[in-house]
Amino acid sequence: MIITTKKNQEEVLNNLKGRQTVFIVGCGSCASKCGTGDEKAVAEIKEFLEKNGKKVLGSVILDSACDMRLAKKDLVKISDFQDASAVIMLSCGAGGQSVEKISGKDIVSALDSKYVGSTERIGVHRQFCSICGTCILSETEGICPRTRCAKGLLNGPCGSFVNGKCETDQTKDCAWVLIYEKLKKNNKLDKFLKQYIQPKKQSEV
Amino acid sequence: MKFKDKLKSDKFLITAELFPPKGTDISVFLKRAACLTGLDAVNVTDNQRASMRVGSLAMCKLLLEMNIEPVLQLASRDKNRIALQSELLSAAVLGIENVLIISGDHPNAGEYAGTKTVYDLDTIQLIKTARLLETGVDLAGKKLSGSPKFCVGAVVNPSAEPHELQALMFEKKVNAGAEFFQTQTIFNTAQYKLFLEKINHSGVKVLPGVTLIKSPKFMQFLQKLPGVNIPQEVQDRINGACDPLAEGMRICSETIRELRSFSDGVHIMAIGMEEYIPEIIKNSL
Repeated sequence: MIITTKKNQEEVLNNLKGRQTVFIVGCGSCASKCGTGDEKAVAEIKEFLEKNGKKVLGSVILDSACDMRLAKKDLVKISDFQDASAVIMLSCGAGGQSVEKISGKDIVSALDSKYVGSTERIGVHRQFCSICGTCILSETEGICPRTRCAKGLLNGPCGSFVNGKCETDQTKDCAWVLIYEKLKKNNKLDKFLKQYIQPKKQSEV
Repeated sequence: MKFKDKLKSDKFLITAELFPPKGTDISVFLKRAACLTGLDAVNVTDNQRASMRVGSLAMCKLLLEMNIEPVLQLASRDKNRIALQSELLSAAVLGIENVLIISGDHPNAGEYAGTKTVYDLDTIQLIKTARLLETGVDLAGKKLSGSPKFCVGAVVNPSAEPHELQALMFEKKVNAGAEFFQTQTIFNTAQYKLFLEKINHSGVKVLPGVTLIKSPKFMQFLQKLPGVNIPQEVQDRINGACDPLAEGMRICSETIRELRSFSDGVHIMAIGMEEYIPEIIKNSL
């Protein structure tokens, strides 16, 4: 899912640039699972905006803000949404742009989209995939070095891992040490030596 | 004799490295370079520690004009495959044959944390790319009008554990086309010898890195770098010395003397104290 974090509320207020009437749109998919686009998050930003003199005309939590068909069906019939001078989005960037596309409204994002994450436990997410469009998991023992190596090296590690950790973050495993350990355990080190992964094309839009 | 040819000889090879200035004043660089005229080659770093400096290419050209054979360090960190290939061709046009292919320190460790990193090619891919250009075509499959000739080097870290993974990477770089290696700094020659015994280095030269410890403060800085292990004995000698620089020079000379008995050569990193390199070498004989 798309991992999102809340922006500083003051930044959201500044981005409203004097617009007084707002409508808040949350997202029932990824952002709700992150606790950034659910009912609680909507209530929190609503309270903040009202304290700062804004008039919140209404709010809704879409099932999936990034599904334009659903967003259109749920939003067009809400007159408060149509009347608001700005829409506060509690979703990822794809959700915000979907709502903009179907409504043409002024969008003010209250979240930052971070990465595609896997949930390890509640509130703890891991970045495992970069949506690169050219998956190499079958070549790298199911561990993506493009994402999990800080340098995205495809054919092996740099020389800066320390005790199996990355030079950039001592709490982060070196992806290539993980791949090496798995290959070694399965007697496949020869694969590492012989395999050459070509320079990848960037994901095509 | 060119560095490329010396790699095929039995000569104990000595290289050092210089870092380009941060700014346009090249006087200090040239002064330091003048102390290194007797060496087999001199590396010029490529925005080391992900700092921003004059490019390696420009300073390599200045070394050539001083009759010093340069080694262009080329990091894949900052350039995409267009710029990397272009840089390699530019080096060839300027008469710079030696290139050391590195991934480059991650920017998060330097003064530009948060900048966009590129790493479009990794080191294996970049070594292969240099070799591909020599055949007269580029990565897009287009024909070159005039093809370059390189002496391609790579790096290996003998201290990084697991050692076996570094040994495999070494072999992979050799298979990709690396002709020589320079290593992360070593202090323990016995440990380095053990690493050498684990790798198949026939046909390529490996020059272990030796760093001049100029002060206790500098030693603290070194210890924080990834993969650098300074033995307690060396730490005690520097910390207990009345003249730490002189002690650091002695340690350097002793290390090089030990290396002379079994190593292909040495790569000296004096980090701003290059004027002392000739004396260090003399005292290692």
